[in-house]
Amino acid sequence: MKRPRPKTVKRPTTLAEAWALRWPERHLLLLCGLAIALGFMMVLGSGYAGGRAFNPVDLLPLGMYGGCLIAMHLVLVTARFHGDQILLSTLAFLAGFGLLAQYRMGTLDPSNLTAPGLYLLPAGIVLMLTICVGLMRGRYARLSSGLWLWGAVSLALLAILLVFGQRYRGAFYGAGLITPTELLKVTVVLFLASFIDRYAKALANWDKGFFLRALLPLIAFWVVLSGLLLLQRDLGMFFILGMTLLAMLFVGTQRRRYLVLGTLAATAVGYLVLGFFAHGQRRIQAWLSPFEDPTGTSWQILQGLSGMYSGGLWGAGFGEGNPEYTPIAQSDFIYSVIGEELGFVGCTLLVVFFLIFFARGLGVADQTRSLFGRLVCVGLICVLATQTFLNLGGVTKLIPLTGITLPFISHGGSSLITGFISLGLILAISEGPASGQSKRQSTPLSTRSISLAPQNKRANRGTRLGRGASAR
Amino acid sequence: MNLLLDPAVWSAVRLALHVAFFLAIFFLLKELLGLRDFARLRHLPKPKGAFRIPFIILSLAFCALLVYQATWQLTGVYRPRFISFMQSHDRRDFNPAHRIERGRILDRRGEVLAYTRQAQGKVERVYPDGPIFAPVVGYSQPRFGATGMEAVGSVYLNGGDPGNLAEWGELGRQIVARDKRPRGKDLVLTLDAELQRMAVERLAGRHGAVVVLNLRNGAIRVLASVPSYDPGKLGPDLFVNSSAESALFNRATQGLYPPGSTFKIAIAAMALERGFQGTLDCPADGFTTSPSNRKIRDHQYYAARRQGTRWRGFGRIGLEQAFVQSSNVFFAQLGVLQGHEAFNAMAQQLYLNRQILLHGGFSMRTGKLAQLAEPDHDSLAQLAIGQGRLLVTPVYMAMLAGAVANQGVAMRPRLIGRSSVAPLARFMTSASAEQLAGMMRGVVTEGTARGIADVRLALAGKTGTAQNAQGDAHSWFVGFAPAERPALAVAVLVEQGGYGSVVAAPIARDLLIRAQALGLVP
Repeated sequence: MKRPRPKTVKRPTTLAEAWALRWPERHLLLLCGLAIALGFMMVLGSGYAGGRAFNPVDLLPLGMYGGCLIAMHLVLVTARFHGDQILLSTLAFLAGFGLLAQYRMGTLDPSNLTAPGLYLLPAGIVLMLTICVGLMRGRYARLSSGLWLWGAVSLALLAILLVFGQRYRGAFYGAGLITPTELLKVTVVLFLASFIDRYAKALANWDKGFFLRALLPLIAFWVVLSGLLLLQRDLGMFFILGMTLLAMLFVGTQRRRYLVLGTLAATAVGYLVLGFFAHGQRRIQAWLSPFEDPTGTSWQILQGLSGMYSGGLWGAGFGEGNPEYTPIAQSDFIYSVIGEELGFVGCTLLVVFFLIFFARGLGVADQTRSLFGRLVCVGLICVLATQTFLNLGGVTKLIPLTGITLPFISHGGSSLITGFISLGLILAISEGPASGQSKRQSTPLSTRSISLAPQNKRANRGTRLGRGASAR
Repeated sequence: MNLLLDPAVWSAVRLALHVAFFLAIFFLLKELLGLRDFARLRHLPKPKGAFRIPFIILSLAFCALLVYQATWQLTGVYRPRFISFMQSHDRRDFNPAHRIERGRILDRRGEVLAYTRQAQGKVERVYPDGPIFAPVVGYSQPRFGATGMEAVGSVYLNGGDPGNLAEWGELGRQIVARDKRPRGKDLVLTLDAELQRMAVERLAGRHGAVVVLNLRNGAIRVLASVPSYDPGKLGPDLFVNSSAESALFNRATQGLYPPGSTFKIAIAAMALERGFQGTLDCPADGFTTSPSNRKIRDHQYYAARRQGTRWRGFGRIGLEQAFVQSSNVFFAQLGVLQGHEAFNAMAQQLYLNRQILLHGGFSMRTGKLAQLAEPDHDSLAQLAIGQGRLLVTPVYMAMLAGAVANQGVAMRPRLIGRSSVAPLARFMTSASAEQLAGMMRGVVTEGTARGIADVRLALAGKTGTAQNAQGDAHSWFVGFAPAERPALAVAVLVEQGGYGSVVAAPIARDLLIRAQALGLVP
């Protein structure tokens, strides 16, 4: 195959240039489509072998997936999009895999064309492309001016849910069992990124007045947010956002003390929280001694593990297992279904794809010189990575169950949409700053760290670091 | 449109699709990594690797997760409770746990006590002897789980526990090939099937327990408990009543009984260890620590009174004669003389108040001796004749008799043939043990167990007739054989059986003589 290595670093200006530039993406998306199509054949085949009649509409989800891939590629080429191709292809695979898993679990029912669940993937991809194209060329930097908007939206989401939400299986849900708090993963990251970007210097140097100006508002926001989350017993989200706060503070300030202090605070809070929440204690109990109450609290996890054990190394193929014996497997326990039907190898592959995804996301952060963009990238990747680890760890009994979904794979519209929004933002950031500014904006972070040193204090006084280099 | 797939065709197509799906993903992965360089973000500043360490930590966390997952998914056979959970609660037909052909459970000569039968693609466990071996073998059944050796040896029976490289290779082959029918390994017990059958038969439906063990290496030859249950015919009603009357209750290892006169072995050992050598006056009228308590008298006194005659008493006798004649009056005085400290030390040295894990979850209790308040001399007198706040298990009494015959050292009882031989504790000095062994021989040659003296085998032991709150006295015999070079220790308990010399002792004699014929006495 001819593999033209792009020689120019210039932004593509013509369609032909963009088309040539994005050939790896085209190639990878094609392979994604092929792999997912084979998976569909497997699920459909096992259905027919089980005596189900063939219905052309069964192929609708696959067609929709293929259409999405093509549309995605064409839109990005048309927009002369310059950003990451590997990240997008990995996402395409993960989303396709999730679609396949949901199709296999019967949660996607193509016979009912009015079911909104059927159109989640296209909707997510449209949303992702809109965000990506809308915010590319450095336009994402404008998001940082909405600092208090993001904070207010985050708290409002929680407060509204607390007032109007309905309880179901010990957690709060909005109308139709939608979980609007999923959106917090984006809004809180945006708030933190804007805030840390604006007060990075103060937060890093702990100079006079820093406490009142920088740390206190952050702590106040965090206390209210945590309080609202804990009122809804959303321990998993609490943990994810806590990890993200620490990671972003560290990346934004390069000060290890935040990690140390944060870990200490997290341990103390975790201890207190577990003392208060009976369901947390039950989960710890089920985690430590699963065979104490195998038919009660440990039933779901043991059924999931039994399915994985049945799957062994290779599994028997999608559609060939009995995941219906694991309660609500399509949601939190989708990983155990993959373990059951695709075996340990299937699980390992999935984990590898997730790792590539995270690596690429962090790579974008590494190559982004705007502190805000960098923080948004790190924050979103941290949210997704923590979420993935909590889910997989809970299902494999490495850690206690937290009731967290697996990004892009689990059943759940809010989670899926949030994932696509996150990726849209990362893709927009990977596109780089507005053209013409790239030289000036690419002030390396190390220089900035030095500029935070005391001798430059006076020179920098009055300059709001958060506005980025363009303000200087 | 109606398109039905032929199942035979489908299984081939399915395999092809399965392989193709994996290959496609592998190829995608290869291309993803291969195109990394082409898709580098050249328009952005050069990467500096600022997130290399966090990413390595993240990768290690996920690797650890996968390794941990593999311990369930691939080597779950090493998690016996997991396997037994799946065997009981997993409805997936294709779960390999349901196809495991567990190994057989054999007695020491290879007689089958439990095996697995294949029936209509399912496996089921068969127990040819029904209730006889249930107290040791236990059961393994999807609905009720597993107990006894079925639970203890689960990993081994399921084929886990690979001891050498070849077996690891076999395990790897099973994982890769998804072998649906792993074959477990046979578990050989120390029991002697014929002797155990005889023990149950001689109990003749009376509640009780029999233990015979090799006092040199702790191998248990008989561990019978009656009533028992049939592990092949379990039903929910069996589990409703969990009291001590239940058939599930193992009387030999868990049943706590007053030892009666058999406990004089322990008291005599205590006195010998503390240097007691004198004589005590034993009036026919009995002994009491205070006038308000009932007198402790010898059985000769009661026997004479029943016949309308009068017994003159033993007079002044030493420990040996008192032991051989089982004089309650002598031992009651001896107990009071030794005092509370001596009893507390004895409880410690003789391993009373303990739970001993024999194999995995299979445990035995030794006995229960309550702590005494200092001025309570009457309790000391009662304890010294094996009554009062003292209870022991049959297997413990066999262990105690074995220790006497083994120079004072009790061996750790064991039921699995390949388990290692280990001493449990030294119960007494070898000098005391030797003296005591002579006294136990005297009980059979000229004492309370004269009735079981037999020319074929030189027996030694101690009878017991233990008063209890439930009704008639429990009948005990505890001993060893042959007297000159001891090999086997025995404990027989028949609940409400009456005199030990009449009921329990003949059973012990017959078992030991049979054991000799079976080659268990070298």
